[in-house]
Amino acid sequence: MNCKTARVLMSAAVDGEISFTEEKGFLSHISECKECLEEFDDAKKTKLIIKERIIRFKAPQALIDSIMQLTDFNTRETEETLLYE
Amino acid sequence: MRIYLEPGRFQIMDKPAPTHKTIIPTKKEALPREERQKQLEFQNEAVVHLHSLYNYALHITMNPDDAEDLVQETYLKAYRFFNSFERGTNCKAWLFKILKNNYINRFRKNSKEPGKVDYDLIKDFYHSIKDTRRDSSEADTDYFHSLLHEEVYQALLSLPEEFREVIQLCDIEGFTYEEIANMVDSPIGTVRSRLYRGRKLLRIQLEEYAKKYGINTDED
Repeated sequence: MNCKTARVLMSAAVDGEISFTEEKGFLSHISECKECLEEFDDAKKTKLIIKERIIRFKAPQALIDSIMQLTDFNTRETEETLLYE
Repeated sequence: MRIYLEPGRFQIMDKPAPTHKTIIPTKKEALPREERQKQLEFQNEAVVHLHSLYNYALHITMNPDDAEDLVQETYLKAYRFFNSFERGTNCKAWLFKILKNNYINRFRKNSKEPGKVDYDLIKDFYHSIKDTRRDSSEADTDYFHSLLHEEVYQALLSLPEEFREVIQLCDIEGFTYEEIANMVDSPIGTVRSRLYRGRKLLRIQLEEYAKKYGINTDED
């Protein structure tokens, strides 16, 4: 496998979206190619940083309430809706 | 003696000609059973993804009000077409796709440069949500960590939309390549290459911030 192919497969290798044979070829390439190995490590680190550092926002209560109401056409009270059970 | 109440039909067991109706009151009794069933399933399968959907909407609109509208519209549509959703498949992916389509129809139809990044918008957006974060129970005692939060966030927001989107869908929401490909209407190869390039760009940005603040991003 050459660097060009390795780079095409790189993100798939990071995300586990790679076939067994492709992975074999990829791992074999990066064991010999310092640059691609470094790129691979960087990509994995970047993914980890995103996963750990990005804040996720919760929907505001008003939105939650209105969505619950959307699917509760015939009820006026909301205590019995599933999310609160 | 159990009395089964069929909404719309009263099946009173055992008593032939009741002088009074023994009915277990339910709040849903006016609804047909299938509708009630559909509502329960919808709440279980779809409504549970509300926070993820809102988060996604917030990031693509960069505006909390627009995000709310988009989420509402999405759930309305999803409920209407819920019977066409194949049970057992990824409901979150289905919802995200609906949301994305709504977004394009509503906010992007008239846009001349859909992929353009508006840095002022990002700055304003970030400042508005920054205050929201402060209201939460999280205490930012560690300046280093809170700085890294902010910088990572800005780095992500500064990416061109098509790169930011796939990173969000892959790394934050955990969708598969196939699901992402469906959501962004592109082949899997494109998803792969956008992830590759997006992560590279992100890395460069993060390293710049790190240099600026003297933080070694290799630590941790």
